[in-house]
Amino acid sequence: MSTVPSAPGVPPVTLDATALARLRELDPDGRHGVVARVLEAFETSLGRLLGQLRAELNAGDPAVVAGIAHTLKSSSASVGALALSARCTEIERRLREKADGDLRADVQRLLAEGEAALSAVGSMLRP
Amino acid sequence: MTPTHPYADASLPAQPEVLLVDDDEVNLLLTELALRERGFKITSASSGEQALQRLHDWVPDIVVLDALMPGLDGFDTCRTLRRLPGHENVPVLMLTGLDDDASITRAYQAGATDFFVKASQWGLLAGRLHYLLRASRTRIELERSKSKLARAQDLARMGSFDWWRADRGESGGLLMSPEALRVFGYGPQEPVTLRTLLRMVPQDDRRSFLRQLHEALRHASVVATDVPIVLLDGRQRIIHVEAEPEFNEHGHGAGYTGIVQDVTDRRIAEDKIRELANFDALTGLPNRRQLIWRAERALEQARRMGHQFALLLIDLDRFKIINDTLGHGAGDEALVEVGRRLRSCVRHSDQVMEGALETAGVRSHRSLEAVGRLGGDEFVALLPEVASEDDAERVAQRVLETLREPIFVGGQECFVTASVGVALFPRDGLSVVDLLRNSDVAMYSVKLQGKNSSAVYSPQLAGRGREKLELETALHKAIERDELVLHYQPKIDVRAARMVGAEALMRWQRGGKLVAPAEFIPLAEDTGLIVPLSEWVLREAARQARVWQQAFGFGESIAVNLPSRLFERSDLVEHIHQCVTAVGVPHRMIQLEITEDNLMKDLQNVIPSLHRLNEIGVEIAIDDFGTGYSSLAYLTTLPISELKIDRSFVRDLGVTPQSSAVVTAIIALARSLGLRVVAEGVETLRQMEVLHRLGCGLMQGFLFSRAVPPEDLARWLENTVLPRRAPWIGTAAAYEPGDEGTHAAGGRVYR
Repeated sequence: MSTVPSAPGVPPVTLDATALARLRELDPDGRHGVVARVLEAFETSLGRLLGQLRAELNAGDPAVVAGIAHTLKSSSASVGALALSARCTEIERRLREKADGDLRADVQRLLAEGEAALSAVGSMLRP
Repeated sequence: MTPTHPYADASLPAQPEVLLVDDDEVNLLLTELALRERGFKITSASSGEQALQRLHDWVPDIVVLDALMPGLDGFDTCRTLRRLPGHENVPVLMLTGLDDDASITRAYQAGATDFFVKASQWGLLAGRLHYLLRASRTRIELERSKSKLARAQDLARMGSFDWWRADRGESGGLLMSPEALRVFGYGPQEPVTLRTLLRMVPQDDRRSFLRQLHEALRHASVVATDVPIVLLDGRQRIIHVEAEPEFNEHGHGAGYTGIVQDVTDRRIAEDKIRELANFDALTGLPNRRQLIWRAERALEQARRMGHQFALLLIDLDRFKIINDTLGHGAGDEALVEVGRRLRSCVRHSDQVMEGALETAGVRSHRSLEAVGRLGGDEFVALLPEVASEDDAERVAQRVLETLREPIFVGGQECFVTASVGVALFPRDGLSVVDLLRNSDVAMYSVKLQGKNSSAVYSPQLAGRGREKLELETALHKAIERDELVLHYQPKIDVRAARMVGAEALMRWQRGGKLVAPAEFIPLAEDTGLIVPLSEWVLREAARQARVWQQAFGFGESIAVNLPSRLFERSDLVEHIHQCVTAVGVPHRMIQLEITEDNLMKDLQNVIPSLHRLNEIGVEIAIDDFGTGYSSLAYLTTLPISELKIDRSFVRDLGVTPQSSAVVTAIIALARSLGLRVVAEGVETLRQMEVLHRLGCGLMQGFLFSRAVPPEDLARWLENTVLPRRAPWIGTAAAYEPGDEGTHAAGGRVYR
């Protein structure tokens, strides 16, 4: 369990212990380095998706934002980034329902949660 | 963790190959790890495009597809995948979000097999995959057995259909399997309605078929029937329809489900069998079985409706002559032609088959009218309704008339006449058997009165006829029952007082009584039984010759009487040869006697046989000589050895001068031709003396011995001839021989 310095406006993030425990179950004696591989995959994927999200700050295509939220929703849940996952779920649902809202603010919120999760994963991988 | 999963199944691959497609690397990696842990072999793809690329040359056991992906999403990937050859039946599991109802529907529309909500409960996912794999296997097997069934149905020219009736605004319809469509000559995709199919049924049959269908529909009963149809190409087929009603939730008949089958070939075979069983193969006319069936029906109808019906028994006269002279092929041809002509004498109907009568209405017995062939040269005309015997007589006259025209067979014109006997129900019999018998009696009376005519049965005819019938039946069995015996009358050389041969005479021991030849030989001649009888006589005579040869050195011949028709048989020589060689006696020990009448009647046909018999050493004697109208000229050319003076001349010897003149002439004739003379019917010493004086020393008659059983003859020789105890012995010896030429050559005194 580790903490990272919190990003602006977002409290410091911790990866969920239960989720991590479930990852470890996939490789009980750690022989295959499963946890690390999963976290690395998440880090890469998250880094890429956050890049795409930033691009949407100005362009603002709700479908693209929803797609990114959809992908992030399950993978973040898998590694225990529960706050990010919850944010993704909420935003994806709102966008798909075409509910009124401020897309730019949503993207900013997602970016903030994403950065927090990214640094949490980073400090897990490189303590 | 063990590699085998609790859901594992022997029929499934040990390590099922899974194609896992997800754009989310994290999820892809996790799922891959989890499934690999559970015994699956995983191939990953991070996009739909990448997945399709892998599938080009590989068919996994199952595909797991994430529904929402950038680029080609799960639905498009699935849709494309289904169009790839070999992937039509691969199970595809679509992964969707928990809150994504729309995706579930879309997944099925895209051809996915099932969906699964994304979660990290890997055990559930693995279980679902195993379930899908098993379902897929079951489905493949089902498809396989379905196609096997289709193939079997196709081979059996069978197919299934469902038909449902219109119901509260919903239209009715007919759904036919491709095999069923093929039965009707349609391709698998052609739209076919019930109306189209019904139009293929010929109009007459259609009406009754529709009535049948309506009836079944009303009672919601099973349909099982054969319908004729005409295919679009004009071929006629017979379709068997078998269907069971289907019921809706209210218990009302909602439609039918069943099969159709082309049973044309089976029906053709069945018809052929029925035809063989009911029709004569030669003439195509109803056979005995069919005739009797028709007659029984006609009798029932006549009884019920109170009218008369008639049976005409038509027997061809002297038909055997055609067979014997022109051969059986020509005989068959003639029978076919006669059958054709007889048919035209009645309103002949071929159609009646068992069971078909009841539906045909009140006058249906009309369709029973027919001419049929009982067998041989015997035909029957069945007239199911006649007003009086005049009606039947008219048909009989028509029959005789139609035969008056000559028939051409074997390149020759020949004339066939018939004797027709008529019996009427109920007057002449109350059963078909009685009617047949009485028409037979009437027919026989025609034969006796000179043939080529007709007669109606009357009770007076019956007595004679029945007796004759019984006699005929009994005679048939006489040979096999050993009821026939031969008695022997010795031929005597009176000068030497010894036996120089014997004549075999047939006797029939019928129920303890001896029947004389005069009572059954004419009948045997009429019925043709004379042939087997004569053959038996030859066999028996040869056997007896052998017995005597061994018992007392008998070396002369046994004379057998044969009718001329036996001389016409080409196998007579062969038959005699077999008879004598079988017992090991020389041919000359059989002598044949033919009456002068018989000889003259068929002279031209008999002559070749006489020559051949003579060549092998079988001598021929002319019996009853002097009674017929002989052409003396033939005597000079025929290979005969002996003349037998008829008993009528012998009887009158010494009574009328004419008789001794005839006898003298016969003896002179024989002497000049070098033939032996034997006098028959010698009963008194006086007759013997006269004959001897006139130059005839060979005799037969009661004076010496009547015809006796063979063992009695041996005893007679031993007790009477050898001790020279008979009254005629001394007397004859007192005379000088009249002429050496009249004596049989050679001979020994039997010891």
